[in-house]
Amino acid sequence: MSHRLSGPERRESILSAAQGLFASKGFHGVSVDEIARAAHVSPAIIYRHFDSKQALYDAVLDKFSGQRQSYVDTIVNHGTRFEDALAGMTQVYISNIAANPDILRIELHSLLEGNPATHAFFQNRWKSFTDYIEFGLNEYLPYDLPDREKIILSAGLMFQGMVREALIQKCLQPHDRLVDLSLYELSHELVTLFLRSIGINKTQLSRKATISG
Amino acid sequence: MSDFDSELDASGLNCPLPILRAKKAIAAMDAGQTLKIIATDPGSVKDFEAFCKQTGNNLKSSGEEDGKFIFFIEKAA
Repeated sequence: MSHRLSGPERRESILSAAQGLFASKGFHGVSVDEIARAAHVSPAIIYRHFDSKQALYDAVLDKFSGQRQSYVDTIVNHGTRFEDALAGMTQVYISNIAANPDILRIELHSLLEGNPATHAFFQNRWKSFTDYIEFGLNEYLPYDLPDREKIILSAGLMFQGMVREALIQKCLQPHDRLVDLSLYELSHELVTLFLRSIGINKTQLSRKATISG
Repeated sequence: MSDFDSELDASGLNCPLPILRAKKAIAAMDAGQTLKIIATDPGSVKDFEAFCKQTGNNLKSSGEEDGKFIFFIEKAA
């Protein structure tokens, strides 16, 4: 039925089938045969496009790395103030996940599977935030603050945990308790709470920075 | 390569920090002056191209040396 696809279309259709399966079962839970069945092709066709299951998995992850340009936009178009850029980056990140929750599912599977390459891929995505927070706080916090280094490291982790949990609650396990709060409102409130916790009280986070949705 | 007026070492930093720091550094410079940036994130190549396209600053050169990415950006008038 779908044997008339061009090479690139075929590759895309295999990637899309693989993405869904990796998202629901993780890397180890899926065989190439299973992906072939889902994509309505033979395993030989899959190997014509991808050297191995790992190569196919890497290609799925590759599709997810398209958010860089958006961070550049955020930095160019929002002020250089710590809180504005952080809010803008967070919006970009959650919009990406909300549009494609498979990436969050794949991330959670990969945490349990312990594949070093995949771990590095996802850590690198969060590193944009933790680097940014560590760098910003390093400039912002008074030098004589007790436990300064520990606070800076913990703040990055706090932010990552907060945003990841919000995404899990809103994208993977919709919860009645949070039904009146959209993901964007939730993220806005969490960023504000985060900023308050590190002493940035008078945030002038404009609603403009909040993507409507 | 060419001369530069300021230098920014963004080694080890992930997007968007190198961009943010470059933006701040360029803001403090005069038109026509050149900023040299060193970065290690491979994504920074695309990032700085996009950054210069959007800000109108001139990306005079972009190259790789020993695993480091070196950019020279001239501030627009």
